[in-house]
Amino acid sequence: MNKITVTFIVNGTEVTLKVGPKERLLDTLREQLKLTGTKEGCSVGECGACTVILDGKAVSSCLILTGQIGGSEVLTIEGLETDGTLDPLQQAFIDYQAVQCGFCTPGMLMSAKALLIHNPHPSREEIKTALEGNLCRCTGYEQIIKAIESVVKK
Amino acid sequence: MISYEFLTTQKIEKALNYLDKFGKVHILAGGTDLLVNLYKESPRLPEFDYLLDISNISELKFLTLVDNFIEIGPLVTHSRLINEPLIKNNFPVLTKAACSIGSTQIRNRGTIGGNIVNASPAADLLPPLIALRAEVELTSGKGKRVLSLEEFLAGPYKTKIQANELLTKIKIPLLGDNYYTDFQKIGRRKALSIARLNLALVTKIDEEGVFHDTRVAPGSATPYPQSLPETEKAIKGKSVYNIDLEEIGKVTSKEMVSITGERWSTPYKKPTIAVLIRRALKKIIEEVKTNE
Repeated sequence: MNKITVTFIVNGTEVTLKVGPKERLLDTLREQLKLTGTKEGCSVGECGACTVILDGKAVSSCLILTGQIGGSEVLTIEGLETDGTLDPLQQAFIDYQAVQCGFCTPGMLMSAKALLIHNPHPSREEIKTALEGNLCRCTGYEQIIKAIESVVKK
Repeated sequence: MISYEFLTTQKIEKALNYLDKFGKVHILAGGTDLLVNLYKESPRLPEFDYLLDISNISELKFLTLVDNFIEIGPLVTHSRLINEPLIKNNFPVLTKAACSIGSTQIRNRGTIGGNIVNASPAADLLPPLIALRAEVELTSGKGKRVLSLEEFLAGPYKTKIQANELLTKIKIPLLGDNYYTDFQKIGRRKALSIARLNLALVTKIDEEGVFHDTRVAPGSATPYPQSLPETEKAIKGKSVYNIDLEEIGKVTSKEMVSITGERWSTPYKKPTIAVLIRRALKKIIEEVKTNE
């Protein structure tokens, strides 16, 4: 099996890596780049735990081969804070207790972030649509939606 | 274990060269079905030695109005279909179907071409595209050919695409005045659901309220999406003021079972398909009456 050389940007830094033909973006992030904030849940695009932002859009990193993303820009949960300051969405998740076990949280935050990039003032329905690919089994969705709404109102 | 060489290109010509030069090539576009099958090592995956990634071919991402057709590049994503005014204004049935697919993450990657070539019996774009009389353009190193979408589909997960061909264009004729459309879907939940049943209805309704050129295509109802000519015949010529919806529902149920025979799912699907055609007709009839 041939290895492929791919260059792309992760959280603002350009990386050039050798990846296998079956290596998913999720594997590259977690295993090569040690960015383990992105979680592996269902591995088939149903739970949203592996959500990252690829060229401005929320995507499931388990459904993308790293070989496909040469020249692209990836933002992961590790790239949300700037100079030690949490992103307003991260702070809101803490303030509104939108985190319990925390496994879905990185994916939830990346879906919310992708929404706000394109639509800074979404309605509650638009927030729900943006999160429809992210499952949470502990807190339920109410606190998560409220946390996002609090950022929208600011 | 599945094992393959990975190929990628940004040019159609190069992709066609790969298809000509190598045997057993599988094409990768949005990957939202293929990567699931790869992960699960699904028996549905054909054997292949090369995986050809076409997701970065920008020549396949167009969406334009040319004469009386809207031409769509196969790599246009579901999200883009939803956000394109050209689609929303001309084919709202396609917008509604695209909205019902997967989740935001899936819609951001999954493509119209992938939905067509994957040819799932439950594909959400196939019923509206069939009802809209879409055509597909296939290109190989030797040239191009155009088929109607209905002709292109050959069975569950099967199409008439040849090993050396690439789907390069989807063409949909504009509908003209007085056309109404609707898409209905039932899944196990609202988000991220595979259609248990879906149905697209496209029809003209003249000034007197009479149905013409009615087209009905369900998904997950027959082995692969196809038109229902008996149902279409039953609706045509009726008026929005006195059409018997119960009767039409019965015709649709009967027509579906005549194609599939009695299957394990028939006790559920037989009454449910009747509900979908009634809902779609009701929606359109209300629209006609509000426009008066």
